[in-house]
Amino acid sequence: MAVLEVQNLTKDYGPVKALKGVSFSVPAGTVFGILGPNGSGKTTLLGIVMDILKATSGEYTLFGQVPTERQRKQIGTLLETPNFYHYLSAVENLRIAAAIKERGVEDIDQILEVVGLSHRKNSNFSTYSLGMKQRLAIGSALLGNPDVLVFDEPTNGLDPVGIAEIRELIKRLSQEGKTIIMASHLLDEVEKVCTHVAILKQGNLITSGHVNDILVAENVVEVASDDLDALAAALQGYDGFSRMEREQHSIKIFLPSGVPDLGRLNAYCFQKGITLSHLQLRKKSLESKFFELTS
Amino acid sequence: MDKLLQIEWMKIKNYRTFIILGLFFVLGVVTTNYIVYSVNKNVVGEINTAGLVPSFNPYSFDNTWQTTSYVTGFLLVLPVLLLIILITNEYTFRTNRQNIIDGLSRQQFISVKLMMAFIMAVICTLLVILTGLTFAAFSGSSFSLNKFSHVGFFFLKSLSYFMLAVMLSVWVRRTGFAIGIFFIYMGAENIVSQLLDVWSMKIKRDTGLDLGSMGDYLPMNASDGLLTFPDNPLKTITKSVMPTEYTWLILILAIVYLAGFVIFSRKFFIKRDL
Repeated sequence: MAVLEVQNLTKDYGPVKALKGVSFSVPAGTVFGILGPNGSGKTTLLGIVMDILKATSGEYTLFGQVPTERQRKQIGTLLETPNFYHYLSAVENLRIAAAIKERGVEDIDQILEVVGLSHRKNSNFSTYSLGMKQRLAIGSALLGNPDVLVFDEPTNGLDPVGIAEIRELIKRLSQEGKTIIMASHLLDEVEKVCTHVAILKQGNLITSGHVNDILVAENVVEVASDDLDALAAALQGYDGFSRMEREQHSIKIFLPSGVPDLGRLNAYCFQKGITLSHLQLRKKSLESKFFELTS
Repeated sequence: MDKLLQIEWMKIKNYRTFIILGLFFVLGVVTTNYIVYSVNKNVVGEINTAGLVPSFNPYSFDNTWQTTSYVTGFLLVLPVLLLIILITNEYTFRTNRQNIIDGLSRQQFISVKLMMAFIMAVICTLLVILTGLTFAAFSGSSFSLNKFSHVGFFFLKSLSYFMLAVMLSVWVRRTGFAIGIFFIYMGAENIVSQLLDVWSMKIKRDTGLDLGSMGDYLPMNASDGLLTFPDNPLKTITKSVMPTEYTWLILILAIVYLAGFVIFSRKFFIKRDL
């Protein structure tokens, strides 16, 4: 069953079309990344699903049902910014969120432990740093241990340690069988945790599906030897690569995705009388793939 | 609704602005009424020793209901301020979004705000009753519920003020803006209302047509107009040139405007992007 199904969703802000007929579905148990540059409509899309924005046209279902507040109570959501009462403490804020979600308050202490805010749990929200606010928002989404989580830019404002922690948290939640919908413009975040991905660009859905099908990265192998010209000439006879790029101190050859046989390449060169001084496999960066898809 | 109100209470019980403005209001009601009480006793009373007009105590029964309602009415801006701050805070903190995201429906969110406005009106009215009783207790007159209808008018006026505050808050969303518009509107309406009143008097004098005080037909003046200071004997003399107060008409209009505020508050919150 699809946790979220979006059909032909359109949203206009006056003359600006933020979403132009977007459709996709999020299967249960996946970590679903919504990827796109700034202003591509990620937050608008999630805002509509959470009923804080009104779609111009189109429909969506949550858990296969026409969405009401009842479905939202079963989803832990962090949308765009941490939204809390500035004059209340972390605990007081989480109590309010728990009351709205109709969940117990028993797990508040444990959640604050998970997101690393226990030592400041009675300080007012207004005294928190950006990263701490973000942590509290993630904690609030975890209240009541929901089966579905929606994270919009979850690592915003976090330091490198915080980013790693949140990644681990998302992986762990995913292993527990939870469905996670995550919007991000950070590719490597998506690459590291997502199983499925939808790519948005200027309100259009470019593609969606399994991450391995969409973000297939070509293999790039970097080779070098004392005599680059001879190496280049020899490589002309090597089969199975799509193209070759000459750089200042090395040569890049592009191999199709899959596990490349570097041993065969090495043996081939040796046969041709060339000793490689450098042989390194590089995945084609996801970034260039992303630019390719969105430009 | 119980649960929703509990959530609202969690939001405000530790909010300093709420506590301070609340205290200011209660103290303000007592002091303002005391000032009117003591001016009447010590200044007006003293001047009137010649006995030119019959003696008059605005805080004896039955006048006390009318006087406290009228005097307290001027202080309603404080709870209005509080209500605007509480609601626009939700926009400032974006907690209106978060509340919906976490599982309130838009209907629930706006309904509980309107309910809060209603409860505040009830509390203010209870305060008027208590103040009226306390001051009357010093007057030595015997208890009476005559003119208690003015307490009802006060309740209507506070409801109108508070529902307008809710509507303005969800309409303009910004604290300063909403407060500014509220005061500018009140000022503007009062000027227009006075012009209309003069016009009513002119029409009555020139044509004999009595349209009532037309200034009282405007949204805020409808509920204001029902509350007046008790007529002291001097004032009755001027009454003949004044247009008639059509209480029933003003009352109906006040209720219609009130309904409008409620309907538009809901509409603004339910239909728009948050």
